[in-house]
Amino acid sequence: MITRNFLALLALCLLGVSVACGGGESPKSEASAPAAATTGAAASTAASGASTGTASVSGKVAFEGTVPPAERVKLNADPKCAAMHKEGLERWQLRVKDGGLADVLVYVKSGLHGTYPSSSEPVLLDQKGCDYWPHMVVKMVGQPLVIRNSDDTLHNIHPRPQVNPEFNIGQPHQGMESKRTMEKPEIMIPVGCDVHPWMRAFISVFDHPFFTVSKEDGTFEIKGLPAGEYEVEAYHGKLKTQDLKLTVKDGEAAKLNFSFKG
Amino acid sequence: MSMQPVAVNPWRHRWCLLTLAATLALIFIGGLVTSTGSGLAVPDWPLSYGMLMPPMVGGVFYEHGHRMAAATVGLLTLVLAVWTTVDERRRGVRGLAWGALAAVAAQGLLGGLTVLYLLPPAISVLHACLAQTFFCLIVALAYSTSREWRTAGVTTDEVGLRGAALVAAVVAYGQLILGAVLRHTGAGLAIPDFPLAFGRLWPAFDRPGVAVHFAHRLGALMVLGTVLWLLGRSWRSADPRFQRPAALAFALVVAQIGLGATTVLSGKAVLPTTAHVAVGAALLGVVWFTALRAFRLLRPPREAHAVRMAALGDPA
Repeated sequence: MITRNFLALLALCLLGVSVACGGGESPKSEASAPAAATTGAAASTAASGASTGTASVSGKVAFEGTVPPAERVKLNADPKCAAMHKEGLERWQLRVKDGGLADVLVYVKSGLHGTYPSSSEPVLLDQKGCDYWPHMVVKMVGQPLVIRNSDDTLHNIHPRPQVNPEFNIGQPHQGMESKRTMEKPEIMIPVGCDVHPWMRAFISVFDHPFFTVSKEDGTFEIKGLPAGEYEVEAYHGKLKTQDLKLTVKDGEAAKLNFSFKG
Repeated sequence: MSMQPVAVNPWRHRWCLLTLAATLALIFIGGLVTSTGSGLAVPDWPLSYGMLMPPMVGGVFYEHGHRMAAATVGLLTLVLAVWTTVDERRRGVRGLAWGALAAVAAQGLLGGLTVLYLLPPAISVLHACLAQTFFCLIVALAYSTSREWRTAGVTTDEVGLRGAALVAAVVAYGQLILGAVLRHTGAGLAIPDFPLAFGRLWPAFDRPGVAVHFAHRLGALMVLGTVLWLLGRSWRSADPRFQRPAALAFALVVAQIGLGATTVLSGKAVLPTTAHVAVGAALLGVVWFTALRAFRLLRPPREAHAVRMAALGDPA
């Protein structure tokens, strides 16, 4: 009981710090597509020589080219899913708004030193409307992942990692929640539902808090970087990766822009 | 010379045929599970989402449907084993029936392991191979309870039918094992073109899965060769009891090669891929039956000669 209260208090503190210092979006920050949750640990205290700082990097992931038209996925395999999407489920290979590309994982790939403590704030992966929300889940190693079934139909959650242990959980009832952690860094772990094969998401796990997912307009921001030289990668599920070098000083708000072509 | 007729309840023979048909259907249904990617649509076992009967939606329809079909075949086999024990005088046939029951029980356990351990390739391959083995056991049971087995006379194998049929059956079984390895290691599209391999007759084996995929294609040619040999021998025998199954085996090999090509060229579309699994089983069943028939109805020439000499009073 005392341990639970302590952890809850710690989670609240970390949440408060994350709101104050930024470092990512909360799970419910966007109405249309729940944004990927970052750990909110951008300003956490240092451990084992790792430090956070006062620099930040922000920018835009742009897209140049033709956006493939959306496909309408028929959901006849499950009448309850079909009832929720009578015209079919609209799927975009690329989500572009104002020239910006959404759902791009942006993270510090190299240049960090030391280890960072994990956040205990749970990250949510919801199954809602027979689709995953968000499509890109980002978390730290050891950070709890809560998988919820908000649908009145059964789902199974089946990530296929290469490094972390694979699992497959059945959630036959609405409101069921399962909790998992992943203890090893690994990016773009595909997640699927074997019952509803159109459902796809990705989970990325980091051993530091400097990551985010680009918003609908392609913009992104990572806060709390210590001064130093870094390699920052942008990873889109279809368009793959781009890497850029970055040097920041304390207190600097650096700008970094990526551009994908299609 | 005729064998002593063995009394068998014809209804038991019909039950064997029913089990045989159900098993072939089960092999197709099982193939659908893999072809539709539904192998892990039901994460638990032996229950399904904690239920005896879950909502049959999406991948659950295929996976739980497969479990229901498997339970049906298990029940048919259990009845057959008990019925055979009660009704059958031949110890070998009784052993065959209980062997089939043990095999179908082991299949159920293997199926559970594939789910609980998230489709480890070795267990998935074993599950596929045991399915074909069980099918062959039921073919043997069905034939051993047939009127022909009980009453037909034995003649001399003048043209080497026994050897040809046995080789065809062994090669077909080996090809099925290769097919299972190919399927459950994800090598189905390791070579994306047909009939050539990366535009060549002989590919470079520098990518994962190419070796097993190409071995399966070479295996198909071996199956074709052995079936053609069997067809030739059967034609020389002028015995329709061998000509007809050999012709059927040839037709199935041609269909199977066509289905294999369609599987590759369609990018593993569900129906041709699953049909390829089922036709493979049917082909194995036909050549295995032909081998059983050949060993039942024919004796080798040397043995025939010894029998004739004995009949003439020659001790040699």
